[in-house]
Amino acid sequence: MASGLEKTVRTAAGPLQILAGVDIEIKRGESVALVGASGSGKTTLLGLLAGLDEPTSGSIHLDGHEITAMDEEARARMRGRLVGFVFQNFQLLASLDALENVMLPMELRGDADAAAKARELLERVGLGSRLDHQPRQLSGGEQQRVAIARAFAAEPQVLFADEPTGNLDRATGERIADLLFDLNREFGTTLVLVTHDPTLARRCDRFLEIDGGRLLQESPAKALVGGA
Amino acid sequence: MDARVPLRLLWRDWKGGELSLLVAALIIAVSTVSAIAIFVDRLQQALVVESSAFLAADRVVRGSRPISAEWEQAALDLGLDTARTLTFSSMLFGPERSQLVSVKAVSSGYPLRGSLQIADAPFTAGRDTHDLPGPGEVWLDGRLLPALDVDLGDRVEVGNAIFDVSRILTREPDRGGSFFDLGPRVLMPYADVEATGVIQPGSRLSYALLLRGSESALESWRDQIGNDLNPHFEWVDIRTGSDAIGRALARGESFLLLGGLLAVILSGVAVALAAHRYSQRQHDPVAVLKTLGMTPSEIQHTYLSSLLLLGAFATSVGLLAGWGVQSIGLIALSDLVPVVLPAPGLRPFLVGGITGFICLLAFALPPLLRLRGVSPLRVIRRDLAPNDASMAFAYLSGLAGSLILLVWYADSLQLAGWLILGTFGTVVVLLGVAYLLLRTGRILGMQAGSSWRIALAALQRRRRENSVQIVVFGIAIMLLLILYLLRTALLEEWRGQMPEDAPNHFVLNIAPDEVAPLTAMLDEHATGADTFYPMMRGRIVAVNGSPTVDSESDQRSRVGSERNLSWTWQLPPGNRIVAGQWWLEGETEPQVSLDADFAESVGLGVGDHLVFDIVDRQVEARVASLRSVDWDSMRPNFFILATPAMMEDLPATWLTSFRLEAAEKQFLTSLLRRFPTLSVIEIDEVMAQVQRIVERVTLAVEVVLILVLLAGALVLIASIQSSMDERFREFGLLRALGAGQRRILGALVIEFAALGLFAGILASVGAEVTVWILQEQIFQLPGRLHPGLWIGGPVLGVLLIGSIGTISTYKVVRTPPAIVLRETG
Repeated sequence: MASGLEKTVRTAAGPLQILAGVDIEIKRGESVALVGASGSGKTTLLGLLAGLDEPTSGSIHLDGHEITAMDEEARARMRGRLVGFVFQNFQLLASLDALENVMLPMELRGDADAAAKARELLERVGLGSRLDHQPRQLSGGEQQRVAIARAFAAEPQVLFADEPTGNLDRATGERIADLLFDLNREFGTTLVLVTHDPTLARRCDRFLEIDGGRLLQESPAKALVGGA
Repeated sequence: MDARVPLRLLWRDWKGGELSLLVAALIIAVSTVSAIAIFVDRLQQALVVESSAFLAADRVVRGSRPISAEWEQAALDLGLDTARTLTFSSMLFGPERSQLVSVKAVSSGYPLRGSLQIADAPFTAGRDTHDLPGPGEVWLDGRLLPALDVDLGDRVEVGNAIFDVSRILTREPDRGGSFFDLGPRVLMPYADVEATGVIQPGSRLSYALLLRGSESALESWRDQIGNDLNPHFEWVDIRTGSDAIGRALARGESFLLLGGLLAVILSGVAVALAAHRYSQRQHDPVAVLKTLGMTPSEIQHTYLSSLLLLGAFATSVGLLAGWGVQSIGLIALSDLVPVVLPAPGLRPFLVGGITGFICLLAFALPPLLRLRGVSPLRVIRRDLAPNDASMAFAYLSGLAGSLILLVWYADSLQLAGWLILGTFGTVVVLLGVAYLLLRTGRILGMQAGSSWRIALAALQRRRRENSVQIVVFGIAIMLLLILYLLRTALLEEWRGQMPEDAPNHFVLNIAPDEVAPLTAMLDEHATGADTFYPMMRGRIVAVNGSPTVDSESDQRSRVGSERNLSWTWQLPPGNRIVAGQWWLEGETEPQVSLDADFAESVGLGVGDHLVFDIVDRQVEARVASLRSVDWDSMRPNFFILATPAMMEDLPATWLTSFRLEAAEKQFLTSLLRRFPTLSVIEIDEVMAQVQRIVERVTLAVEVVLILVLLAGALVLIASIQSSMDERFREFGLLRALGAGQRRILGALVIEFAALGLFAGILASVGAEVTVWILQEQIFQLPGRLHPGLWIGGPVLGVLLIGSIGTISTYKVVRTPPAIVLRETG
């Protein structure tokens, strides 16, 4: 739950308000799409909700904890426990192979059987035969599947996805979206995703449109017909 | 966080090749520094042994009074080895003839360093011996046999005692210390001195206690006894013992030290660059790790422990490699200079290891600590960089690290100070100039072809980074040039000191009527005997009216010791007036000119009135000038020179020098048979010894130069690598936009050549200035300009940076643009 969120950054030309008074409530298990034009502030909002950034004012509660009152140390621990991420540019660690990338969040938590679980997840996303491949040896779609496996490896309560299909062709994008929503249902995860893609937005329970840093409308995703 | 995670991440980065440059830089830093340290340590040990032979000991206490048994006992208690010598002039009587000789009585154990050489016939090659003359025996200088007409087994008399001539002495290690300890040598047992009865009140005796042992024991002995030494005893080490060797050693050591310092700075820069690049490349992974729940303190812990592990690994490998490199260096050079060096001590390894960790903490740690501040938001916004405050910390810490290392190595604030000042001044000036040069480049680029446009645009676009890179290149090249120039200057200086045809024998005690026949004989058999110097012994008995002899204690102060005087109208070569004026030819006022160091040590100055006692005649004179004398030259030199007019009526003897090759030594026998009263001093052995020392120092200088070159090359590579990602991305993009391979390659070559050119120009200027200062301030050599440098520096820059840069970035030309773009994101 977020209330009264504001974000202002200093630029050479003076202060620039990116978000102005945003209030949102997202329920456990819900899937929500944040849509809007480039520069509307939707990615900034995602960063704030996920605890990657601090708002200028306002508060955010995640699973009952007020993350806006935490320092970076506490936020990082909270992210490790509750949050998973999928990014537009995949963000796999280049020096690790697929298996090691998926093992990483579990190793950070101290899971004893990280390797076995990671292998299982990679099987689940269809990459069981490419465990020891480096990210640069994988196609974009394959890299995103590794990223999704990594995101679910931590068994997060909330999954934040930033344009998860933005770097992929339509067919691959659809397969990735299927995988994302399937796993989401399977793990009962809350999903917050930022996207330009109306097809993807429509698959969420509802969508929030942002323009000029303000929340324009909130409506069931089904209402989103013909594009945002 | 699982405690094993940092290890796993480290291992994975290692496998992925991310760490290779940083580890290589650390290894080279440690190995260069430890190779130099090991090498210098071994060389110094060898030099100390070799040079100590000049004293026949590590330290000597010398004086005109007997040395107390307590001093010797104190030395023995400290674990030092001791020996005693007593040197005095005496007449040596053969059956028919007699000769004034210099007798040296030695106790068992002498010499503590070096060895005596004996021969079976006069002027033949000697062989080392560990024996000493037995009771009732003497060993004679070869030239005494013809002079006294005696043979081995004959009897001679010293004072009241009779001795058997048992050996011919060809060399004693500590003979070189004083060229004017005149008279042929007679070596006898210390225990027999009493029987000769020569020790009488007023006899001129020189007592010495020789010491050998560890530096610490020698120093603590000196601490215990030190205060009792003055004013009658003199503490002598190799530096005070022989000017020529002392200076060669001091300059050689300064150079090696400087080489080590430069290696440290270069390695530090390489480590800093490599760490900076590694840190830059870790920004994205760290952001991801943070989104996955790693806290800032866990990030810090991870990189800190990784760095320490890496440091331990790189230091161990570096120490091994350092040992290997200096061994290979020695093997490679063994054909040139056959040298056997003692095994190294523990210290150089310690020096290498500590250097590794200081490099790590000062140069590599700060960029990695910045990672703590990387924002996790970077995963969605790539442009976020850590704040600049931590950058300032990185620079400060690098600076502090350099300072600590420099002062620690140099152990001389002067050397470290000049170097830091030079480097700093250069950095500041260079940054400004580099920026200007790059601006000029843009204007030129406007009129150029396409490869040129791309290259100059690239230079322009990264003007700030390129200015820094030019400075790094410039400093690396500058340091290499400095070292090269100094090495050349030193070697020239050493060669100049001992020309191939330098005289290696002195003849003294030549009567005026012997000069002409002697000249004829020398012209026939030897070379270089063209100048004869008049000589006389005398002492200063009064200074400005006060006597130099204390009438109550009958003690003579140092100023009143007996010395050699000479006289001449012309200022001898190698002498320079530093105060007062040299006299004009025909000057009638009695005047003297003094060696400036001598004058200072006994408190005399221009204008003082002196009274000399020369052959029982009192002669007055005014001090007209002070001279600085080049004692390193193997020419006869005098503390006191007088106007010829002042010495006119006094009975003088003459002195000359000549060169005789080793094969011609038999000539000395016929020379001394014909002129039995002459004293011949052979300094060919001394010169050979100096030559050996200089060769070793030269070897060291060459090896150090090579090692520092390696460190310099590493800096260049590290620096180019650190800008590689950026270049990769840009040129990948250009290729994607249709620029051909040839054009891109052309642009790369031009860009690096231009960087090299600018760096070379700056390096030449910096090197010229620094070398000038170093020569004048540290090496006591005259500063001069190096016109060749003005072309050589820039050419070197272009070739070095152009080729290393192009080779390192050639991959960008060969790799398909799509892959380049995908890999660099």
